[in-house]
Amino acid sequence: MPGGRTISAVRDFTLRVAPGEFVTLLGPSGCGKTTVLRTLAGLEQPDAGEILVDGHPISRLPAHRRRIGLVFQNYALFPHMSVFENAAYSLRIRNASEESVRAEVAAALAAVGMETLGARLPSQLSGGQQQRVALARALVMKPDLLLFDEPLSNLDAKLRLQVRSELRRLQKQLGTTSLYVTHDQDEAMSLSDRIAVMNGGQVEQVGPPEEIYARPASLFVAGFVGQVNALPGRATRQASGHVAVEILGRTYSFAAERPLPQDVLVLVRPEAILLGEAGTAPFEGVVEDVEYRGDRIEYRIRVREMVLVALEAALGKSRRVATGDRVGLDLVESAMHVLPAQREP
Amino acid sequence: MAGLAARPGVAEPDRGWLLAGLYPLVAAMVALFIAYPLVEILVRAAFVGERLSFAPIAKVLAEPYNRQAIYNTLSLGLTVAVAGTVLATLYAYAMTRVDVPGKRCWHFLALLPTISPPILMALSLILLYGRRGLVTHELLGLQTTFLYGYWGLVAAQVLSYFPFAYLLLLNLFRGLDASLEEAAGTMGAHPGKVLTTVSLPLLVPGLASACVLLFGYSFADLGNPLLLGGDFPVLSSQIYLAIIGQFDMSKGAALAVLLLLPAAFLFFLQKRLASRTAHASVGGRASVRHPQVSHPAARVAALVVCGGTALVIVMQYATVLAAAITRLFGIDNALTLRHFEAALTSSRGALVDTIGLGVAAATAAAVLGVLIAYYVARTRAFGRDALDFIASLPLAIPGTVIGLGFALAFNHRPLLLTGTAFIIVAAFAARALPYSVRSGVASLQQLHRSLDEASTNLGATHEQTLWRVLLPLLRPAVVAGMIFTFTRSVTTLSAVIFVVSPHWSLVTPTILSQMDRGDLGEAAALSVIVVALVLIVIHGVPRLFARDWRERA
Repeated sequence: MPGGRTISAVRDFTLRVAPGEFVTLLGPSGCGKTTVLRTLAGLEQPDAGEILVDGHPISRLPAHRRRIGLVFQNYALFPHMSVFENAAYSLRIRNASEESVRAEVAAALAAVGMETLGARLPSQLSGGQQQRVALARALVMKPDLLLFDEPLSNLDAKLRLQVRSELRRLQKQLGTTSLYVTHDQDEAMSLSDRIAVMNGGQVEQVGPPEEIYARPASLFVAGFVGQVNALPGRATRQASGHVAVEILGRTYSFAAERPLPQDVLVLVRPEAILLGEAGTAPFEGVVEDVEYRGDRIEYRIRVREMVLVALEAALGKSRRVATGDRVGLDLVESAMHVLPAQREP
Repeated sequence: MAGLAARPGVAEPDRGWLLAGLYPLVAAMVALFIAYPLVEILVRAAFVGERLSFAPIAKVLAEPYNRQAIYNTLSLGLTVAVAGTVLATLYAYAMTRVDVPGKRCWHFLALLPTISPPILMALSLILLYGRRGLVTHELLGLQTTFLYGYWGLVAAQVLSYFPFAYLLLLNLFRGLDASLEEAAGTMGAHPGKVLTTVSLPLLVPGLASACVLLFGYSFADLGNPLLLGGDFPVLSSQIYLAIIGQFDMSKGAALAVLLLLPAAFLFFLQKRLASRTAHASVGGRASVRHPQVSHPAARVAALVVCGGTALVIVMQYATVLAAAITRLFGIDNALTLRHFEAALTSSRGALVDTIGLGVAAATAAAVLGVLIAYYVARTRAFGRDALDFIASLPLAIPGTVIGLGFALAFNHRPLLLTGTAFIIVAAFAARALPYSVRSGVASLQQLHRSLDEASTNLGATHEQTLWRVLLPLLRPAVVAGMIFTFTRSVTTLSAVIFVVSPHWSLVTPTILSQMDRGDLGEAAALSVIVVALVLIVIHGVPRLFARDWRERA
C-alpha cells in the first residue's frame, strides 16, 4: 500500500494438499484466507516462503504461467465476450487450434450443464449460470490446482445449496485438486475432504470435517464451526493417556494425548446434552428460554452458575418443555472434548 | 502431472515487458510535449540571458497599453462569466424542471457552438452587425463600429461558451436529489420557493464553478478578440500581435505567463468548486424523475429563454450559411456555389491537411491516453502520479499559451520541428490528451480489477489482457475521445496559429486570413464545411466504430 504501513495478513502458513483433494480454508473475514488464495494464484507476492506444486517451486513464476485456476467471488466474466468465448479465453491466449477450442470448450460447458447457452453474454445469465461459466472457464485450462474464492456468496440461499452439491459432485468426478475459501462453516463441512480453520492470519487446525467439529484444537475453532458449551473444569488425575476432569461437581474420564494443565475447558456440543425428567439425570437445571426452529428445538438451561445450550430434534417429542421448567440433563461422554483453559484474547 | 515437469522454477522475463518498456517512452513524450514548452515560456519570460530577472514581465507591465489589456481581459471575463452563467442556469433549469416542448431540439441547438470554430460566431456577428452588416448597415442604415470592442466580444463569447456552462449545470440539475425538492413541495413550498430555498443553495458551488469555467474560456479565446477586438486589446490578442506583428518572443512569453497564471489558478479553483458540487448531489441518481413545473406562465417563460437563445444561435449559423451561398451577402443576394467551389479548390490543401493531421492527432492522443490511463489506474509504475498531473495540465492552459510554447520550444536545435506536420499533430494531441487520459482512467476505474486478474489467471500477459479484455471494454470511451480530439483539433485556432507553416496550412487560420482579406463568402463556405464535417464525424463515427458490446444483447 502506498504510504501505508505494511501489515502481514498471513504468517507461518503451511498447508499440504494431496492430488485430487478438496481442502477448504475456513475463517472469519479478514483472517487472511483470501490472501493465501491470491498468493497461490500469483496475484499477490509473498514476502517469504515457497509454494510447491508437485515439488516444483512456483513462487517466482508469474501469475499467468502458473496454471492455477481461480473462480472469483464476483465471477469476473468478461462482459463483452459470449459464454463460449469466456470459456475459450485461456485456449485463445495459447493460440490453440479452432478444432481443439471447440472440443474442449464444449466439454467444459457440458460438464457444468451450460452447453446450450454458449452464445449468450454474461449479462443475459442468472447468477447461478454465471457461476457455472466461471467454473467452466477455469476448468478449460486444465489447472493443476483449482482455487475458489467464496464462489457461492453472491447466490441466494436456496441456489447456494444446489450449486454446492453440484460443485462437490463435479470435483469428485473430475478429480481436480481444489482449494476453497469460505467463511460459511456449512459450506466447508459439506464440500471438503479437509478443512483448514484460519484465524488472525494463522492456521489453527487442519483436519477432516468430523475431526474439526468433534475434536477442535481451540475454543475459536470449536465456536467457528458450530455452537458449543465450554464448561470450565479441573483436571484431577492424569495417568497413561487418561485424564479425569471434574465439571459441575461430577468427574468424567477422557483420553488425553498430551498432559493437561489443571484448568481445562470441556467442550460439549448442544446436541450432546440429553434432556430428561428432573431427578432422573446427573444434572438438574431450569429452562430459561425455548426457541422453536422447525426441525429442532433449542433450549437455554441454567445449571448452577452456567447457562447451557441444548438441542433436540423436534420430531417425536411426547412432552413439551417450557420456560421455567426443571429438567434433568445428561452429557454424552463420547461427544465431549477437553482443551487446556486458555486466556481468551 | 506431465505439464509440470517442463516448468522452469525461475522467473520468466515476460511479465509485461512491452508495457513496462513503453512507460519511459510515454513519460518522455509527455515531458517533451507538455512540460518542456511550458518551461520554455517560463524561462523566456523570467530569464534575460542566463540571469533570472523577470525583466520581460516587468517591461510588459510597465507599458500602460498592456495594463489596459490586462484590465480588459479581466472585465471581459467577468462579464462573460456572469452573463453566461445566468443564461446557462435559466436554460438548464428550463430543460430539466419545466415542462417545455421541443427539448431535444433546444438541447441540440444549444450545443452547436461547442463543436464550431469560435471564430464562426465572430464571422456571423460581423456579417449581421458589422460596419457593413445586414442589420446595422442594410436594414438600419447605420455606419457603426459598436460591434468591434467590448460589447461585440461579450456577445460572441457568451454565445460561444455558455453551452459549456449549460452542460455542466444540466448534469448538476439532473443529479440533484429529487426527493429534496419533493420534500420541500410536500411542506407547502411552491416551485419558485423550492428553487430559491432548496435547489439554488445546493447549486451555489456549481454556479460558481460554471462562472469560473466561463471566465477561463473568455481568457483563453483568441479568435474573437482578433476579429472583434477593435481597439479593445486583451491579453491573448496582444500575445498574437507581439509574436506575429513584432516578432518579440520575450514579450510574447511574458504576456503568456500573465495569461497562464490566472488561467491555471481559475482551473484549479474550478476543480475545487466542482468537487464540492459532488457532495451537494451525492444522493442523486440520474434516473430519479424530477417534478416538472407545468404552470403556463413558467412554460412560456422557459420557451422564451430556450427558444430565444436557440433562435439567436440558429440565426448565426443561418447567416454564415447564407453568406456561403450568396454572391455578396446582403448586397448581391443571388444564389451561387462559387464560394464553395473556391473553398474546395483554393483551400483544399488546408482542408485535407486539417483532416489528416486531426486524424493523426486523434490516434496519437487515443494511444497515449489509453497507455497513460493504464499506468495510472492499473500499475504502480514509479512517477505515475506526476505523469497523470502533467498530462492533465493542458486543461488548465489557454490554447494560445500551448501554441506559443510549441512555437518557442521547437524552433531551435536539437528539436527543430517548426514547419513540420509533426509539431501540429503534437500541439493538437497535447491539447486533447487530458480528456483522453481522464476518460480512460474513469472507464478503467469502473472495470473491476478481477477482470484483469481473471485474464492473468487464465494465462494472459498484461499486454494480452489490455488488448483482449480492457481495450474492447474501453472502446466506446476511446472512440468518443478520438472524436473529441478530432473536433477540437479541426476547430481550434489559438493552439495552432503559431505553428502553422506554408507547408501545412489549416482550416481555422485560413478562415481567419480570408476574413482579414475580406473574402467573407469563402470564409463562410469554409466554416460551413467545417461544421458539416464535425457533425458528420460526431454522429457518424460512433455508429460505425463505437458499437458498444452491450448493444449485441
